Amino acid sequence: MTLDLLAVFIGSSLRLAVPLLLAGTGELVSERAGVLNMSIEGMMLTGAFAAAVGAWATGSPLLGLLICVIAVFPVALLQAVLSNTLRANQIVTGIGINILVLGATTLAYREIFGARSREQIPGLSKWSPPLLGDIPIFGEAVFHQVWLLYAGLAIIVLTALVLRYTSIGIVIHAAGAEPRAVDKSGVSVPWVRYLGVIFAGFMSALAGAFLSIGDIHTFTEGMTRGAGYLAIAGVIFGKWTVGGTVLACLLFGAATALQFQLPTLGIDVPNALLIMLPYLLALLAVGGLAGRQTAPRALGVPYLRR
Amino acid sequence: MTDTMASVTKSLHGVLRPSVMISVAAVLAAALLGVALIFAMGVSVLDAVAAFVDGTIGTPYAVAASINRSIAFALVGIGFVIGNRANLVNVGGEGQIAMGGIAATAVALYGHVAGLPAGLPFLIPLLAAAIAGLLWASVAGVLKIKAGTNEVISTLLLSFIAVWFLYWCVQSPELLRKPMTSSATLPESLEIPDPTKLPLLTGDYSFPLHIGLPVTVIIAIIAAIVLAKTVFGLQLRAVGFNPIAASRAGISYSRMVLVSLAAAGALGGLAGGFMLLGDQYVLKDGFSSGYGFDGLVAGLLARGSVMGVIAAALLFGFLRSGGINMEMVAGVPTALVMVIQGLIVVTLAGAAFFIGGRRT
Repeated sequence: MTLDLLAVFIGSSLRLAVPLLLAGTGELVSERAGVLNMSIEGMMLTGAFAAAVGAWATGSPLLGLLICVIAVFPVALLQAVLSNTLRANQIVTGIGINILVLGATTLAYREIFGARSREQIPGLSKWSPPLLGDIPIFGEAVFHQVWLLYAGLAIIVLTALVLRYTSIGIVIHAAGAEPRAVDKSGVSVPWVRYLGVIFAGFMSALAGAFLSIGDIHTFTEGMTRGAGYLAIAGVIFGKWTVGGTVLACLLFGAATALQFQLPTLGIDVPNALLIMLPYLLALLAVGGLAGRQTAPRALGVPYLRR
Repeated sequence: MTDTMASVTKSLHGVLRPSVMISVAAVLAAALLGVALIFAMGVSVLDAVAAFVDGTIGTPYAVAASINRSIAFALVGIGFVIGNRANLVNVGGEGQIAMGGIAATAVALYGHVAGLPAGLPFLIPLLAAAIAGLLWASVAGVLKIKAGTNEVISTLLLSFIAVWFLYWCVQSPELLRKPMTSSATLPESLEIPDPTKLPLLTGDYSFPLHIGLPVTVIIAIIAAIVLAKTVFGLQLRAVGFNPIAASRAGISYSRMVLVSLAAAGALGGLAGGFMLLGDQYVLKDGFSSGYGFDGLVAGLLARGSVMGVIAAALLFGFLRSGGINMEMVAGVPTALVMVIQGLIVVTLAGAAFFIGGRRT
């Protein structure tokens, strides 16, 4: 592998990992607080759709991003109400929301774009950080990326710091591990969990926007193709830590990048095998490569005050 | 006389249970919203409804096609209910159907079964389909008991892998793709030989109900009896309620997890076999498209009852047929059916709170 190809590979791995990184970090916070959010898949799809429509209608990708975040909020709120206030089965509600969103976005897409499908949509601009962008070969291929990537990385770092060093982090962690203790200390468990789910919604919205107006500048029906589930697998593989989740998502991103990279190297591997590679890797990851799993103790269990 | 009265009142009570009423209300409300959406799209509601009805009960062919769809949904749904008794959520129906379809195609085309006597030409591929589904779901079962992997995420990932494996099979001439005679050769398998196609109940292609229907009815009855009346059914339920208490009582958690997921997988694989051998005859990409999820929703909607699965499966079978015709004739995308289904699931999951928090 030449240096050029290596640089392209690293660059595209990073780019393909971004949606997983963002959604995975959101999911991590929500799971730490005790809510298993299968609906990040649907939230990402909502985000991808709303960002595309918003950017197309206003001509401004930035407004598209704003519209995207606003559009995902009700979806996140629905998941939060169902899993906290109504104490519904979180897996069932998540899957229901995903089916609903897949149907609704497909329907709305056909209504709005109809025959004009696959239209180019104004996308977010690219940016190179100073110094890093000037490195020969790597500067252009690795660091010249959509600015949302850098903003996203900053949010992820911030999330890690908040989780680790602040009282907010302790409360989030406790809401998923010892909800009764949180309640006794006078903090409302459902309140913490609502915020966790809404944060996951916010991050999934960014992830979806990155897919549509950040990466390929268009929307296709069901374009998330299970990226949300990969992000959840990333959280499990990363043992519910920010660092672990980030590494897992980068790994899945690299596995996805291989399908574009190997053919250029003249290595003949069936395309389908490469496409399934991230899912296969995720399955191996959740199936024991990570060792015994240490999920938050109250994960998926709605809190009931006695 | 009073006995009959009492039993009538009792069964009426069964039908009018709050959970059943809420299911019916959710379905009706979602359907109403569907009609409102059609209206909002500016399509004539009358045209759309006419197309829908025509696609469901308009012709004998439409009725049979809808019922054949329902068979696949029912099998996946029954599998879901079996797993759910042990508090497992098997969302891998899609992949189990795909693996079943692949196995059935491979055996029907290349297993030298076409010349065998007495039904074996289609029974052997069906068996292969069930075994393929069983093995595929067992992966999730083994991961669950060996590594504690959440079966929701593993069955989902297995579905993605199976669907891409299907794509691989129909894209590669060395797997199941038909011999490439020109660059225009479609990425699909050869048509399976006639003896391997499922016999039709009437022998008439204008009403193509196949033997999957009686088989599914028998499976449903067996499943209902096993779940309600046998020790095994009780053990499943015990594990579902409290694995620790169940293992104190000598019930092996691992065995229950493995057996219930394997059974669900076998039914999913069988569904794939029926779809291929009874209906499609050619394996294509997107063969399983959404059938697994429809079956899952049927299972969810049924709230643990096999009879409920049958009702929901019939509902979705006709809903899908009507939806397809509505897209072709009235230009309303079939995605509308997904919106309706998603709404039903979300509503019912939320409604569980109001009827005493029964598990879905």
